[in-house]
Amino acid sequence: MTFIYRVTRRDFLRDLGVGTGALVLGCSMAPEASAALPSFNELIHGIPVPGIPFVALKLNGDFIIITHRAEMGQGIRTSLAAVFADEVEADWKRVTLRQADADSTKFGVPFPYPIPPETKLAYPYNKTPTTKGMFILDNDVAQFTDSSRSMAAFYMPMRLMAAGLRIALVTAAANKWGVPVSECYAEQHKVKHISGDRRPLDYSRLLLGAQKVPVPPYGDLQTSLKKPNKWRYINNDKMRETFEGDAHSMVTGKLQYGADIQMRGMLTAMIERCPVANGTVKSFDPTEALKVPGVVKVMKVSIPNPLGPGGVGTAFMPHDGVAVLAENTWAAWQGRRKLKPTIEWDYTAPVAAENRKYDSDEYHGTLRDSTSNPGMPVRYRGDVDTAWGPNVVDAHYYVPHLAQTPMEPPVATARFTGDHLEVWAPTQNPDIAQTMAGIIAFDIPYEKWEDEATKDELRKKVTLHMPLLGGGFGRKSKPDYVAEAAFLAKENPGVPIRVQWTREDDIRFAFYNAVSDQYLKAGLGPDGLPMALLQRSAFTSLFGTLFPPPRTDFTKEQNDYYKEKRRVFRLGGQYPYGSSIERSQGLEDVPYAVPNLRIENCKAPNYIRVGWMRSVANVYHAFAICSFADEMAKAAGRDPKDYLLDLIGTGQILDLENEHVEQNYNNEFPIQKIDVPFSGSKIFQVVPGYPPDSRRLRKVVEEVARISDWDAKKGTYPKGRGLGIAAHRSFLSYVALVLDVSVSDNNELTVNEAFCAIDCGLAVNPDRVAAQIEGGINYGLSMAMLGEITVKQGEVQQNNFDDYPVLRISHAPKKVTIHMIKTDYDPTGVGEPPTPVVAPALANAIVAAGGLRIREIPFHKKIKVMA
Amino acid sequence: MPVFQLHVNGKMHTVNVDGNMPLLWVLRDVLGLTGAKFGCGVAQCGACTVHLNGKAIRSCVTDVGVAALTEITTIEGLSDDGSHPCQRAWVSLGVPQCGFCQPGQIMSAAALLKSNPSPDDDQIDAAMRGNICRCGTYPRIREAIKEAGKLS
Repeated sequence: MTFIYRVTRRDFLRDLGVGTGALVLGCSMAPEASAALPSFNELIHGIPVPGIPFVALKLNGDFIIITHRAEMGQGIRTSLAAVFADEVEADWKRVTLRQADADSTKFGVPFPYPIPPETKLAYPYNKTPTTKGMFILDNDVAQFTDSSRSMAAFYMPMRLMAAGLRIALVTAAANKWGVPVSECYAEQHKVKHISGDRRPLDYSRLLLGAQKVPVPPYGDLQTSLKKPNKWRYINNDKMRETFEGDAHSMVTGKLQYGADIQMRGMLTAMIERCPVANGTVKSFDPTEALKVPGVVKVMKVSIPNPLGPGGVGTAFMPHDGVAVLAENTWAAWQGRRKLKPTIEWDYTAPVAAENRKYDSDEYHGTLRDSTSNPGMPVRYRGDVDTAWGPNVVDAHYYVPHLAQTPMEPPVATARFTGDHLEVWAPTQNPDIAQTMAGIIAFDIPYEKWEDEATKDELRKKVTLHMPLLGGGFGRKSKPDYVAEAAFLAKENPGVPIRVQWTREDDIRFAFYNAVSDQYLKAGLGPDGLPMALLQRSAFTSLFGTLFPPPRTDFTKEQNDYYKEKRRVFRLGGQYPYGSSIERSQGLEDVPYAVPNLRIENCKAPNYIRVGWMRSVANVYHAFAICSFADEMAKAAGRDPKDYLLDLIGTGQILDLENEHVEQNYNNEFPIQKIDVPFSGSKIFQVVPGYPPDSRRLRKVVEEVARISDWDAKKGTYPKGRGLGIAAHRSFLSYVALVLDVSVSDNNELTVNEAFCAIDCGLAVNPDRVAAQIEGGINYGLSMAMLGEITVKQGEVQQNNFDDYPVLRISHAPKKVTIHMIKTDYDPTGVGEPPTPVVAPALANAIVAAGGLRIREIPFHKKIKVMA
Repeated sequence: MPVFQLHVNGKMHTVNVDGNMPLLWVLRDVLGLTGAKFGCGVAQCGACTVHLNGKAIRSCVTDVGVAALTEITTIEGLSDDGSHPCQRAWVSLGVPQCGFCQPGQIMSAAALLKSNPSPDDDQIDAAMRGNICRCGTYPRIREAIKEAGKLS
């Protein structure tokens, strides 16, 4: 068996964007024995891929690299491809990228697979880990682009695959020349001989020979990886060049986003949705809408679902509504305007009636009551109750619902032909979008929604193309807009239907980041450092949206069933408490070296849809704990940076298990990356991941203090100007931020400058890492200063960027200074980690500049934001 | 429906549309020029920015009738090959992230540079505050505008 095989199947060739006349060789590695295993792993260790090849070589030696992750501005598509190109010694000019369709059976790394019990792991708890926390490799979400994990998960597989291909090419040259392989090496699309006597052979001349080269053993792949001093792109500023192609198509308007797809006979749909979650359509009158020139059809959108109409607890199904289908966007919009006043909504179902009572201002009080009383302990050491002492500091912090508002509003296009559904959707979660679209188009009964065989069948019957996303930020993790397109396509067979959301739709029907109240309490000892620390967190969990919370119209058996389902489904928690996924984001992993510590999770039922927004639960957890660190420093009369370092202490790997943390999601990782043998001789790699290590947190604090000149500036700023600091770990990376702000006598806030230190392991693409940090800071400033979604009678009150303002260029700091820590760790998250530190650093800086302590987002309610 | 003559990127087009249809939808849905993006529909975000007679306007709130008498330039017509100084600077400084707002940003920046080839930060902020970027590329936009000013 060899790496390289001839691609003949028509559909593969189409996916590669070449005609059937071309000779294309796909690349894979290793023996056929593991044919039953799914495929990313196959590329490293196994067998020809029974689907799209990940990489193909054209006869002229050019590479086609399939990019399978969703690209939404983080640069993963080019970064991962460049990792491959670097390792295989490709000339980037001879690399073409192709965006993959949804296909988790092809792109999944096999998981969860049991790790053999005898496997020795360097693991902090001295026990064999279960697989439950190692979400990165889950097969079902192979392309699910969230949790800042694309590079963490695929960096090493890409390199191993490329190394195998390089070995094959080098071996082919050695065979041709009749010299030992050890005398040959690859460089920029050519294989050369060390003597320099032989004319270098272009890859195009080695393809057929490489086809005959047997797959090298896994160990050889590992040892043949290029040494860092030979990297051409990885961790190199030259990496920027690999992004130029995509950048060029963006700045010329040529890049086709989801809304730019045009097809003959396509209709554009706009949907007027029920403003309250789980409400339904009682009646509507299409007459006036149908009079608008270009309007073709008006129809109800209600997706059959035994859980009831879309909203809370309905597995991300869209709200019910009425669609206007028209020949162009404007006609659909005009028709919708005529339609809207004729719709009567029905809120009589118990769950809708309850949601209809939801008032977010009132709920703020409910959450505060929740955190004012003891909650469920989720981590503790020592006994806080006997350790408060006389010097107690406490505070509540509040973060409202927030909407993600990517620049591109949700959009999806679908065409149904009776036995096939084709979808074009900018989605972060192609795996789920594909199966959900199939569930709708092919009337799959609820009992089979989670059935693997059914899902596999749907993957064959639904083609989902992934255009590049005009931003995601978590909004496009949810497939509701794809479901709408699938529903309308199914109802209108043969007609391509594009569902276009307006900005108003995007803001009124987001999956909102949880609303949260946090209560912090500390008893300070004689040295000013806390002897006891309590954090109580109440937040509305996403899992109340995914699975129904207890409902009066369900039987006890149904409610018990969903209770159990929440328990077993990926750490879903127990409603109305939060899940372990959310608790592990900055709550259970509070890194301070406090002798007595208790973390509690408090109740928070939810009445609108909850989703995830850039850095998710870290937003409210970091805002609270990093602000409170500053408050304790003030109470102790200490410099906030010095105090923060003392809070962290010398640092250590947090021993969460021994502090009663029940389950964990982001934190349950082995210390070292491990190679686990399975299926006899084969091996697979568990993604490198690391439990919280406060030494690394300490380091970023020290570094940000250095680059911001914290110590030198201390005490030299005039009144009205100040520095604030915050440091937080999320998505396995460590970030510390210093913001320099001015607060005028008239209470006007200006953010002057930002300094950021990050430890994200190896910075594979330093330029994109920097871009993500710049953007993440601005995203955080936007939510901290301006972000607020409010709800009255179950209806979201904001509509567009006029009443849901976001950061503009005039608000943004003039200068951002970034320092990436050099470490030996493999790459970890970058997209989200810069965001959580922003709100607390800003709040702390405002105090340092002589302003008020702000404990509630958005800050503009307490201070005038200058733009 | 009325007929309009539109002069877009140096070419004349005849379109037969509702007179209230905003220029954005004529460009996108009728002429197939999808470089101008829909981001808000109420002139809040600038993703739809194009030039009318060299001036940056929000095409999502500009009736087609108003545009009919003017020279319309969209991102597709700013240069044939991406060689406009803004486009070059945007690429070389790696400004775009998701890229969705960038055609609008560039059209606003190109109009700014025509009237002021070397704007400072405050002038850039004043001219560009109508263009939202949710990826937060603002620091690089500022740098790229200065760079483009030097290139022109």
